[in-house]
Amino acid sequence: MNRTRTLLKKLAWSIFTILFVIVLNFFLFRVLPGDPARAGVRDPRLKKEAVEMLRVRFGLDKPVINCFESLNPIKLGSCTVNPLDTQFFIYVRNLLQGELGISYHTNRPVADILAERLWNTVLLIGAGQILSIMIGVVFGVFAAWKARTAIDYSAVITSLMAWSLPTFWLAILLLFWGSNNGLPLAGKATPGSSALPLLQQWADIGIHMILPTLTYTIIYMGEYTLIMRSSLMDVLSEDYILTAKAKGLSTFQILKDHALKNAMLPLVTVIAINLGFTVAGAIQIEAVFSWPGLGLAIFEAVGRRDFPVLQGAFVLIAIAVIFANFLADLTYNYLDPRVQTE
Amino acid sequence: MKHKLLYLLVLAALLLSACGGASSTGTEASPAASGGEAVEAVEPPTTPAVVHIGWAGSPDSLNPGMAILVEAYTILELVYDSMYELNLDGSFTMTLAESVEVSDDGLVYTYKIRDGIKWHDGQPLTAEDISFTYNLYKDTPEYPYMNGYYTPYFESIEATENNEVILTLTEAIPNIESQLVFLYVLPKHIWEGVDKLEYENIEMVGSGPFMMTEYVQSEFIRLTANKEHFATPPKVDEVIFQTFENQDALVQAIKTGQLDMITEMPNTAVKSLKTAENVEVVVGSPLAPGVSDIIFNQTAEENCPKDEGGVCTGHPALRDRDVRLAMAHATDKQKLIDVVLLGLGSPGLTLIPDGLGVWYNDSIKDYEYDAAKANKILDDAGYLDTDSDGVRELPDGSRPLNFRLFWPSDSITAPRMAELLSEMWAEIGVTLEMQAVDPDALTAQCCPAFDFDMMLWGWGSDPDPSALLYVYTTEAIPTGSSETGYSNPAFDELYAQQQTTLDFEARKAIVWEMQKIVHDDVVYIIPYYEQATQAFRTDRFSGWLTGQAKVELSDVSSLVVIEPVK
Repeated sequence: MNRTRTLLKKLAWSIFTILFVIVLNFFLFRVLPGDPARAGVRDPRLKKEAVEMLRVRFGLDKPVINCFESLNPIKLGSCTVNPLDTQFFIYVRNLLQGELGISYHTNRPVADILAERLWNTVLLIGAGQILSIMIGVVFGVFAAWKARTAIDYSAVITSLMAWSLPTFWLAILLLFWGSNNGLPLAGKATPGSSALPLLQQWADIGIHMILPTLTYTIIYMGEYTLIMRSSLMDVLSEDYILTAKAKGLSTFQILKDHALKNAMLPLVTVIAINLGFTVAGAIQIEAVFSWPGLGLAIFEAVGRRDFPVLQGAFVLIAIAVIFANFLADLTYNYLDPRVQTE
Repeated sequence: MKHKLLYLLVLAALLLSACGGASSTGTEASPAASGGEAVEAVEPPTTPAVVHIGWAGSPDSLNPGMAILVEAYTILELVYDSMYELNLDGSFTMTLAESVEVSDDGLVYTYKIRDGIKWHDGQPLTAEDISFTYNLYKDTPEYPYMNGYYTPYFESIEATENNEVILTLTEAIPNIESQLVFLYVLPKHIWEGVDKLEYENIEMVGSGPFMMTEYVQSEFIRLTANKEHFATPPKVDEVIFQTFENQDALVQAIKTGQLDMITEMPNTAVKSLKTAENVEVVVGSPLAPGVSDIIFNQTAEENCPKDEGGVCTGHPALRDRDVRLAMAHATDKQKLIDVVLLGLGSPGLTLIPDGLGVWYNDSIKDYEYDAAKANKILDDAGYLDTDSDGVRELPDGSRPLNFRLFWPSDSITAPRMAELLSEMWAEIGVTLEMQAVDPDALTAQCCPAFDFDMMLWGWGSDPDPSALLYVYTTEAIPTGSSETGYSNPAFDELYAQQQTTLDFEARKAIVWEMQKIVHDDVVYIIPYYEQATQAFRTDRFSGWLTGQAKVELSDVSSLVVIEPVK
């Protein structure tokens, strides 16, 4: 009973946060300077009417919200307009219907663009996360168990180095290395591979994933190793581990049954946070390897001042981060029963 | 437990993305191509000759009315035909029509369309399609370029039973070719049934030398050769354009042979690519050349477009030609080219770049770089350093010659140029307050607000000089196209005159005269015209066009003449 109530409370907070982000997100893009309808097309022979048509097409001819015609520059307007005829409420209404507007740049629905990109990012980051978690946990456990030995020190130094590498720099190095070893340097699949049998298509995607996934894994592996190591070392210094040792349990048994589960808690927190940002994609990795994910979509949209795409991506990321944190809360409950009672 | 969950999630993602990939693919080769395929099937199977091209962008839209980016025009150019083809030397060739008759008053053009041209889906292309297309462009004000740009002189377009198109203009114009060259002809049988704004045109049924086979937005485009094209059937079988977000990757990919051609590269890479094996680098002015400009705000109280939000806060000294002239003399253009562009540019004169060929007035003698002369001009004009702080003041001593210099923050070249200019102009007692500004904010500050002293920016040009000459006119001040507030009735007069002068030589003389005027008035300092670079591999395909007046991939000439190396 108590448990359900805690969960419901957390859920309510998550929903409230999402609503807050949705509102903030709208105004964030309205206080940015400039006229998006003009930015894309600055041309001496463009007629005023054509610019006006663009504004109508993107709904920019409507007041931002009651009393405000525009927010940058601040222009007051009528307060008695029908709220449903203002940009803000149109935005909210469309959002509730799953519509995120039309991209200024490609004239395509933002929801379509983001949906295409989301799965590519989930695929890349998913693979990177799994690999880096696995390697990180193994390294971390080894380092903690062999604490203050050569193994520990080399694991810590390697991890620290990997963790502090600039992502784009590592990516470029790997790109040069990969190009000399025949690995594809851009994209998700070989153009034309869609005609191949499904298995070959997957293999093709797999080959394209090698370099970006490797970059991602190296960058995150270090972080997970360090957290796992320090958290496990804390646990290993507890009295009950000493008891377990005294009982004559094997190293493996101590780690598996007694230490690991307790040591996982901090790691889960970090993984949850990272997973949330997964949706944002590793922007730098995607940009270097032209991986058509969400991060690249954001990167491109910033360069082209494609506000609807950015706005949509931000909502998506916010929801993902909040959702991932909610999931982390659930996982704590499972990993550490003490959390429930708090 | 959790790991297992993650694993399942990823597996699901894998499945979904695979499905997504399959459903987002474009049309397979259309039924019309089956004739060609049947012929090929008889020959012994050989590996198709596929040209892999890497570029740093991708089309914004394939709907010709909505497209803005040059990448979109590249694809449109290859898949569609238009009435004229722009050649690399700036001349035009008639393509869809075999002849044209012009009425004596220059108002009615009667094009006889070639018989037997086919769309990629096998339907015949007739005058009907052309008149439908031109009317579509003319009657759709939402098409940003078509309507205001290429069709404003169209009175009516009709198709006759003799496969002729009768184009009637509202006034006689000298440049019908450049008005029609980007009006890609669309198949009526497809376009009459679609929403002309929302239609993404992924399937792209055209008539050009290449057919759209597969398009995955911002990833790649596959085009198959239309071997039955009436004018320029390609010798290769397929062309793939792949998007590389990272220019280093582009360079690396052509070095290692993953690509056969790249359409752009960082200037820093040119040197190393030139020495790479089997790679040839071409440098030249692009077909649609870009112009960099140093802008002086010359608006004053009397010509400030206040109704359009003009505030006109420009430094008064910049309205004085002597000051601008001195700054021009103090600008070492060659140094700017060498440092900012690593040598890949040519010194600029006016907004009409050398890449425009005959329209470019190469008889203008530029202001030589001479700081002493510049200093003398300022001394003579009364701009003296009265308080000996190294900065000159206005003749009345009220304000120092300290100018705000802005540039769009997304410019790669501007910061370096600003730094150099600040050093050069310090020699003549002029100082700068330099600031990179968000491009949107800068547009708002620029025009018609005129809330700046100086800016570094640029223009892309049209094959016809009219578009950029317009920027200098008085008429352009309130519209936001004029960035200087320059106003010269004599120039305006000539502008109107060249628009209606039908005789080529006479029009050219006027256009040359106009460039002379704005150069004399030092309306801008044009530091340079950038050159384009492309590289291609010589070991897989031969016959690349080099040594041309222009470098341009979207011109079909290279892609239709190269052939695989045996």
